[in-house]
Amino acid sequence: MACAQQTEIGPAADTASRVEASLDLDFEFDHAAGRTVLAASRQQTPLKVVRAFALEDGSALAHLHNVSGGLLGGDRLALRVQVGAGASAQLTTTGATRIYRARELAADAVQSNHISVGENALLEYVPDPIVPFAGARFRQQTTIQLASGAGLFWWEILAPGREARGELFAYDRMELKTDIWTPERLIASERVRLEPRLHALSSLARLGDYRYWATFYICRVAADPKLWATAEERLREVAASVSPPGETRWGISTLAADGLVVRCLSRQGRWVLAGLREIWTAAKSLLYGREAIPPRKVN
Amino acid sequence: MTSVTNSQREHDPDLAHLRLLHLADSALPIGALAHSFGLESLAACGLLTPAGVSEFLRGYTEEAGVMETVFCREAFRLAGPNALASERWVEINQRLTALKLARESRGGSAALGQHFLSAVLGLGEFPLVRDALAAARQAQSVVHHSPSFGLVAGALGLDEERAVLAYLHQSLASLVSACQRLLPIGQSEATRILWNLKPALIDAAARSRVTTIDDVCCFMPLLDWGAMEHPALTTRLFIS
Repeated sequence: MACAQQTEIGPAADTASRVEASLDLDFEFDHAAGRTVLAASRQQTPLKVVRAFALEDGSALAHLHNVSGGLLGGDRLALRVQVGAGASAQLTTTGATRIYRARELAADAVQSNHISVGENALLEYVPDPIVPFAGARFRQQTTIQLASGAGLFWWEILAPGREARGELFAYDRMELKTDIWTPERLIASERVRLEPRLHALSSLARLGDYRYWATFYICRVAADPKLWATAEERLREVAASVSPPGETRWGISTLAADGLVVRCLSRQGRWVLAGLREIWTAAKSLLYGREAIPPRKVN
Repeated sequence: MTSVTNSQREHDPDLAHLRLLHLADSALPIGALAHSFGLESLAACGLLTPAGVSEFLRGYTEEAGVMETVFCREAFRLAGPNALASERWVEINQRLTALKLARESRGGSAALGQHFLSAVLGLGEFPLVRDALAAARQAQSVVHHSPSFGLVAGALGLDEERAVLAYLHQSLASLVSACQRLLPIGQSEATRILWNLKPALIDAAARSRVTTIDDVCCFMPLLDWGAMEHPALTTRLFIS
């Protein structure tokens, strides 16, 4: 278990009308400029990053954009991000990731994310929610490799569907797999498969009467282990104040090493992003002694 | 009358069956009844009620039950006639550690695993079990309960299907017992709950047969929340 095995998702069952595309982003610390820059990007439609914006703390912010509006059945998208040693990058989305209804014979929509954060580098991944439409089928595999001293703020939010039109848990299948590796070991592994028609999500063992679900990983490799116990306690206090009691449940726990995980269940989506942002701000201050800078769209 | 030697007894299926009952007995002194794995928080905030216990445990069996059983089977198959594949044994346990995101549940599972293997070593000479503990110690890894149970069952030459069902049954029995202490559930009702969930255990065991540790999934965010919130409870009956 000393190194990350990149899991490839198998070939799609059909090839008709599917999109296969990748987006590669390389962030590096520009010593001359004293800040992080997007040194290279390779983009295939529909995935796009227009440019990187310089943030006041020297980080680079990029907005991930899917110009087709979302993923259709059979789409196979790949995101590869490298954050070089000492660099600091922030990624967000331009809007919710929509997973459209899959045609009956179409393969699942597939997204693979291969993320590498170099020595003493930092990646903040703060996207909008994933919104699965009725009949959607989606598989995502994320592999994150953290080098010594690397930091990570990474959240994902799963909405129940198009709530405004009463579409709740009408998707066929959502499969989300995430592995986070340090040089020493696998520190977090998440394997979830949601099939509302086969296994009721309203079971108390799953979501109960909550609709939104989010996971937020906060890591810094080789930080003082005592820091995590303090951070767990502090962030639990923060989480208790970010949403009305009962509306949202926040759980905070240290990982096996080098990080924390935040679990969120909420009846309403509006509490999730706002709460994650508060926790992000507090955690960034604890781990890095500086403020988190939310992407402009959520300011 | 022909006397039976201890060596011959080792291959006696009745002895194997009795040993399995012993290992899966809640009276085995490993501390299983000291953990609620997040149930205590769910009960404390009123989410888990007596009326909801059975349905909760059914969902639990479909998710965590299958996942743990996959790891139980994987370790069972390590216990062949050859020396322990130490690297794989450590990898299985480290993978399970990473999957258990809640600190207290992770620690509870590791404590039960360690106590289980130690208890088995107190019952007889089991070189494979001794090697398993040594390999984990050398790799600075914990050992979890489900793979530990599987490894020992394999080392004793027990039947794999019966072993995983026994593991599932004792796990569920421990949770039912925790529910009894947390909620107003009588002995008769607790017995009925466990009795009625046996088909769910068989289904979980069947699903685990066709699932690997690379593709097993588990979605229990509310119980995760309960386990993560447990340290913040002011009064606690359980360690986790």
